[in-house]
Amino acid sequence: MGYWLLKNRKKEICGNGVGRVHSLLIFFLPLLLLLSACGSQKKLDAYSDIYAERPQVLYIAPLNDLSVRHALRTVDDSLYNLSLNIAAKHLYLSAADPLIRHGYYLPGPLASAQIAATEWRTGKQLRNDDITDYYTDLGIDAVLFITLHGWNATYNTWTVEVEYVLRSARTGLELMHVSVNAMKMLTTDFKGNLLPLGEDADFARRYGCDIETAQRCRLVEILNQYVLKDLPSGLKARQHTTEGYIPSHPEYFNLKIHPDGSVQMLKTELYE
Amino acid sequence: MKNEELNRGQKSGMMKRLVRVSQFFIFHFSFFIFLASCSGEYVGVPRAEVLRYQTVSTYGGLYELATAYAHSLNAAVKADTLHPGMYAEYGVTLALMGHTGTACRMLNAEMKAFPESRGMVQRIKKRLMPDMLVDTLATARDTANLAQLASWAYDSLTALRPLPPVAPVIDSTDSVWISQQTPTDSVEYPIRLTATQKRELLEKQQAEEAMRQQHVADSIAAVKQAALEARKQAQADRDQEKKAKEEARKAEQKAREQQREEERKQKAAQREEERKRKAAEREEARKNKKKK
Repeated sequence: MGYWLLKNRKKEICGNGVGRVHSLLIFFLPLLLLLSACGSQKKLDAYSDIYAERPQVLYIAPLNDLSVRHALRTVDDSLYNLSLNIAAKHLYLSAADPLIRHGYYLPGPLASAQIAATEWRTGKQLRNDDITDYYTDLGIDAVLFITLHGWNATYNTWTVEVEYVLRSARTGLELMHVSVNAMKMLTTDFKGNLLPLGEDADFARRYGCDIETAQRCRLVEILNQYVLKDLPSGLKARQHTTEGYIPSHPEYFNLKIHPDGSVQMLKTELYE
Repeated sequence: MKNEELNRGQKSGMMKRLVRVSQFFIFHFSFFIFLASCSGEYVGVPRAEVLRYQTVSTYGGLYELATAYAHSLNAAVKADTLHPGMYAEYGVTLALMGHTGTACRMLNAEMKAFPESRGMVQRIKKRLMPDMLVDTLATARDTANLAQLASWAYDSLTALRPLPPVAPVIDSTDSVWISQQTPTDSVEYPIRLTATQKRELLEKQQAEEAMRQQHVADSIAAVKQAALEARKQAQADRDQEKKAKEEARKAEQKAREQQREEERKQKAAQREEERKRKAAEREEARKNKKKK
């Protein structure tokens, strides 16, 4: 294949400009990738606690939802509350995807609900208490706590504040702590109504919900993917100890999601 | 000669174009495939169904969820892309529907496929099916071939389907199409009937309907009669109890009055004695005074 490309490249360098551009791209893209990989660092150094604990079985604790709901006076209030409830559930459900892609074992949502039903402690107590019984009784290595602090809205943005804490069930150590303030930019028409565009509209069609709920759900889904993508791979993954990466976010940061789906990370010194 | 060179030149030009086009497609499509694989959605959990069921928990939603899990499980096992927790999720869904035997098999399969899930599966079994907590011996036999088990679970869905009560529907046209639902495969199939068969069927249905209505009316009457008798009996019991209470109250009152009368008589006698004693004392005192 490489010989075939090389042979044709010789012909094309002498040919017109279009072929030359493609050949140059083909040869320089791996070089660029190689150069960009030189700036990465080993996850073994950045996540030394996780590599020391070597967790394989994770469990996502029930969502600690601290966001404020509207008092039920009109139909709009109940719709708003329903939208927040669905988005909170989606935040919990979509948090499993990046972890499973990394190779961890996670129980599904219904199984997690059954395990959570046997727990007598509240979310806040579980967050701070001793959770070694999860390791001894259930074989869970680490528990991910997600706290939804609240929602905010302006005329063209949804904002959500979420905190992620990964605690070891063996030793109780905090393996990861991320607080993020994510903002989704919206597209509205001249009357100020939300426009169902792109993946938001697709999500609303697939899940059978309104566009507002779909945008909130997409916001938390992208947030989960962005925050949890830096975690090291599971024990069974081939690249467990050798993988390198470029850190995508610090411990506290703001995230801006544009209407086209692109993500922009904004560093902050102090999380408010 | 010129034509041959010309043809050769055209061929080489064609080849160049072909090479360029193939390079273009190889480069761009590989890049798109790479991007698509980076942003692929995890399909192990049917998230829309889960979200729908968790928002409004109904038996229909649970059945829909079980169907989605069975489909994704079957597809995953066939494609060898089994994700953790899929057997357990399907098992929990079946257990919530009440099919504990199949659910136990699925949970055992989860333990076999992912041994690290043993603690969690045992906790789930303890909560949902405590009588099958120790039933892990069947794991080796039933789940020897996980692909076969997933296929069996997929095929057995029709047996799990809740059958709604369906009555035959008859059109008024000459060609009658009846929609029936069998308990085995639950597939609608049409039957073409003649006019005589249609009349007989109608008469039979009317007779059955009349019998059913009669039976219902009899049942209602019997229930009403039983309720009336029970009410009468209860009333009689209440009256008898009331009478007995009244008699007891009267007897008690009489006894109390007698006791009170006796006490009154005793007090009167005591007072009389006291009066006599005081009179005697006064008389004696008067006599003593006269003597002095």
